[in-house]
Amino acid sequence: MTVRLAETPVTTWHNADGTLDPVKVRAAYPILATRPGGRPLHYLDSAATAQRPQRVVDAVTKYLFTANANPHRGAYTLAQMATDGYEGARARIAQFFNVPATELVMLGSATEALNLVARSWGKANLRRGDVVLVTEAEHHANLIPWQQITREMDADLEFIPVDDVTGEILWDRLDSLIKLKPKMIAVGHVSNVLGSIAPLAEIAKAAHQVGALLCVDGCQAVANMPVSIPHTGADFYAFSAHKMGGLYAGGGLWARAELLAEMAPIETGGDMIHSVRLRDAEFTTGTQRFEAGTPDASGAIALAAACDLLDEFGREQIHAHETRMIERILRELPEVLPDARILGPRDARQRAGLVAFASELIHAHDLAEILDRRGVAIRAGFHCAQPLHEQLEVGSSARVSVAPYTTHEDLDALFAGLRDARTVFEG
Amino acid sequence: MGGMDDLYREQILEHHRRPHNQGTLAAPSISLEGRNPNCGDVINLQLQVSDAGVITDVAFLGKGCAISQAGTSLITDELRGKSLDEVLSLGSPFVMELLGVEVGPARVHCALLGLETTQKAIASLRSK
Repeated sequence: MTVRLAETPVTTWHNADGTLDPVKVRAAYPILATRPGGRPLHYLDSAATAQRPQRVVDAVTKYLFTANANPHRGAYTLAQMATDGYEGARARIAQFFNVPATELVMLGSATEALNLVARSWGKANLRRGDVVLVTEAEHHANLIPWQQITREMDADLEFIPVDDVTGEILWDRLDSLIKLKPKMIAVGHVSNVLGSIAPLAEIAKAAHQVGALLCVDGCQAVANMPVSIPHTGADFYAFSAHKMGGLYAGGGLWARAELLAEMAPIETGGDMIHSVRLRDAEFTTGTQRFEAGTPDASGAIALAAACDLLDEFGREQIHAHETRMIERILRELPEVLPDARILGPRDARQRAGLVAFASELIHAHDLAEILDRRGVAIRAGFHCAQPLHEQLEVGSSARVSVAPYTTHEDLDALFAGLRDARTVFEG
Repeated sequence: MGGMDDLYREQILEHHRRPHNQGTLAAPSISLEGRNPNCGDVINLQLQVSDAGVITDVAFLGKGCAISQAGTSLITDELRGKSLDEVLSLGSPFVMELLGVEVGPARVHCALLGLETTQKAIASLRSK
């Protein structure tokens, strides 16, 4: 991606040459100075959830202690402050993604966003025999909602395959699969197991040529690389707040205003209505129609603060730093654990944020346990992508993910732990 | 690295590398697959049960972490000659004693995969 979104880097976080300095960045995350279990923390599981910056928590505290009231209700000054805070946060998050605030639906999670697309758009637009196309690598959140709605509507779910050996998604198969004239193509921007960046512009072009829409699960992209949603070509783009340094609850969905206007809300209740009579109701327009109930204003405030910080780091700089970390992992892993089977592309430049691998010698769970003895935190299992693991005939994989605060010391500890594990299992 | 050798003691690693009772039975009374859905540990367990309700033979094939495979290997060694009721009364402390180590909360489901699959197999045999 050549689009430059990052503002001029604030040098607090950078080296003299403008690159991100993870050691300086660590100061923004209090948890990184703690010692869980008495060991230094080498947190390499940010793809599961990122750590929270001090300023994110401070922003929430400030909002709750100075501007807390129920947003969109009440005629008093404090209620207006609460509304301004919430809507200001929405505007900041929208700016982060380069989209209008009027097209950004604030939801509880990316999972909720993807379910909304499948259940609302899917229910209104899928007919018997229609095709929805997803990849074999999708996170369960971008797979199961499509399984459910295609089953309900008697539509067909088809798959863009992965290479059984390398694990790379075979995007060139799209040339023939597109002849099925899918109504929807749903893909992850960055695979949460393979780490690969999807060629969204090409996929969007192919989709739009046959009248299909493109729904993108952006969870693993938004914190790790610059994302300007309009430049992706997506028609729906879902993201999750906690992977960006926001709170656990929170996520969103972007779609063009016309698309949103055609969609029926899934959840109904307060705060999404225009007028209500005893036997029926008229829904309000715009994003609020999909945000029934009191909104999670504190979550939105937190995410806006997280966006500020990511922009201070600079998203180009974050991506460049993480690419350097991934290059080292891809280079050293085969030396330290020769039987490690790296899933996904071997070129760090085709990845964002993570590397997963499997070893016949050491099961991922044993590896995670042994790494924990050095305070190294990695993910072991299926990472919510079980069909992909079955396709690759991998029982489970170990996933190392990096962040702006990942240092070479973290990777030193990782590789030392991998050597420990080899010693134990080779006996 | 303190404490690591407790969990990955030679006995556990040995059971992981060369599990006991590995294979399949010619005429099992019941076969059942046990899985840990999030980690990918899987075993296919078979029991042969006498008319008197006593386990006469057991075999399993499995793939997964050292704790799940060693735990299954160790528990299957204990099953022959036990009545179904006896096996149903076994709990987590029994498995921990076999492993010779207290497994952390994150690994308990790995350690118990063998026992729990056996108990589910018994329940499903009885409901036949």
